Amino acid sequence: MDTATVLIVDDEMIMRESLGAWLERDGHEIHTAESGEDALKLIETHPFDIVFLDIKLEGMSGLSALRHIKEIDPDIEVVMITAYASVPSAIEAMKNGAYDYLLKPFEPDELSILIEKILEHRAQFQENLFLRHQYQEQNRFESLIGQSESMQEVFRLIRDVAPMNSTVLITGETGTGKGLAAKAIHTHSRWGDGPFVAVNCGAIPEHLMESDLFGHEKGAFTDARDTKRGRLELAHGGTLFLDEIGEISMRMQIDLLRVLEDGVFYRVGGTRSIEAQFRVIAATNRDLQAAIREGKFREDLFYRLNVITLRMPPLKERKDDIPLLAEHFRSRFVQETNKPIDRISREALDEMMLYDWPGNVRELENAIERAVVVGKERFLKPEDLPIFQAECRVAPEPLSLKEIEMNHIVQILAENDWNIAKSSKILGIDRSTLYNKIQRYQIRK
Amino acid sequence: MAGRFDIVISPIGHMEPDLVETVCQEVRQMFHLDTVVVPLMADVEYAFDRERNQYHSTRILAQLAELAPACAVKVLALTRVDLFIPILTFVYGEAQLGGTASIVSTSRLKDNLPTLRLRECFFERTAKEAVHELAHTFNLRHCKDETCIMHYCRNIRDVDRKQNLLCRYCRTLLEDEFRRLRIPI
Ligand SMILES: [Zn+2]
Ligand SMILES: [Zn+2]
Repeated sequence: MDTATVLIVDDEMIMRESLGAWLERDGHEIHTAESGEDALKLIETHPFDIVFLDIKLEGMSGLSALRHIKEIDPDIEVVMITAYASVPSAIEAMKNGAYDYLLKPFEPDELSILIEKILEHRAQFQENLFLRHQYQEQNRFESLIGQSESMQEVFRLIRDVAPMNSTVLITGETGTGKGLAAKAIHTHSRWGDGPFVAVNCGAIPEHLMESDLFGHEKGAFTDARDTKRGRLELAHGGTLFLDEIGEISMRMQIDLLRVLEDGVFYRVGGTRSIEAQFRVIAATNRDLQAAIREGKFREDLFYRLNVITLRMPPLKERKDDIPLLAEHFRSRFVQETNKPIDRISREALDEMMLYDWPGNVRELENAIERAVVVGKERFLKPEDLPIFQAECRVAPEPLSLKEIEMNHIVQILAENDWNIAKSSKILGIDRSTLYNKIQRYQIRK
Repeated sequence: MAGRFDIVISPIGHMEPDLVETVCQEVRQMFHLDTVVVPLMADVEYAFDRERNQYHSTRILAQLAELAPACAVKVLALTRVDLFIPILTFVYGEAQLGGTASIVSTSRLKDNLPTLRLRECFFERTAKEAVHELAHTFNLRHCKDETCIMHYCRNIRDVDRKQNLLCRYCRTLLEDEFRRLRIPI
């Protein structure tokens, strides 16, 4: 069973605890709120998959909480909890975007079937997202660029580490080029002529992950019409790059540990052990030590992976690379779009140097791409950059970089009615990073 | 005399001795720990809900955890009364996830028993649910493997289908928990 992050909103403590404890045994992450108001505050700062919402609440009604939730994040599935007397309102709620309603007390199987249905539905959605993402990745490939001292240090480490066989753990925020560093290590290693097989552990839906990594035998499950080799086998003689390793499930962690310890694995539905030799590079934007403390990441797997650590600096720590990178992206997008834009104006560059770039190089890349598309003159101006609207540049007093980043996030959220999916796309960061920043800056609607 | 890492099996009211013995055997087999039978409470009337005509299992668990003897690493109660939690119409059993106490009710495990091997089947069901709930107290969550004892059973047919065995994932997680509790494996 895949697991979900669940919010339970009910003004009766006994109901919150009863449902919460029950769902916890299914492995879901449970949060609770006793009013609609508290629920909205939580939803603004945490990503949730499912909300169980009591229709009769003190203060803000369940129906109005539902409407607000759907405004903040239309992807959240809301299940109304109702007593027999309120069934008509529950039906009203379904018209307003609720996924379903449950009459309390529920039958145990009714609840588990409902959750399974929601998770299947989300898995389908994730799968589409994954396929789209995969397509985009193929079209975006840059080499590592940087003259800054911190990037020179990264290059030195890559050269030192490459010839060894040890596992490498690359850490750093989203968009700092962890994948590019992995590729560079691979190219300079003795595995360099072999395949470089990348697995984005955060993007592959859990139900596809097992057969994707290990492969499957014909008939292992309904869709397995042929025997398929997994990525582990495909990586034989080369490098296996496990991106976003912090996102893999407990089950996959147990399997991966076994592969790293014994060097053998089985295809799904297979009994013959398969041996494959490859170098493993893993990457994460998460604090794995913290994940270990929370019991979400296995310590033994961490020590297997973390033989050598390579830290990719965030763009704000290497601002002297911004002109070089910006120019590189300008020239690429100009070629792609055939627009006569020869250079970036001094003013636009100054603004870029002031900004904190929470989405790192990837956000810079997105910003330049958009500027090239909207630019009307032979040089890019500050107004062309999506991140620097005229009004936010007029600062009455000098702001710190953090304040600028915060203001920018506030503005993008407001412009997009707090639609997290849209805002994160514009900012060039993923949903979870945006939620982290909203939490860190305590941004409220 | 109780050892340092015993699992206390606590029948509430009268429970068939053969049934209790079968549960003890299966529990020892699964966890490799000793079991002792200690009736910790005579009845569970304090947990009775007049409106629902059932017993609130979460309240019983709290009481069991209070009464657990010092030697008990975990406690499992066996009862014949029908159990519920406020949000659900009934439960086969309940456990404190990563806690001390667990309980299994035989009330609904008697449904649809086969005509052949009737007694064995009833004993097997009870033993499976007992191991399942106890494993929750060792911090194990539900498992998607349908043959694993930690699979969540929607109905009695599911209970009959699963085996009294842990899959390799759940086995590893149980070993982790034993190591954390410093229980020799
Ligand atoms: Zn269970
Ligand atoms: Zn299992």
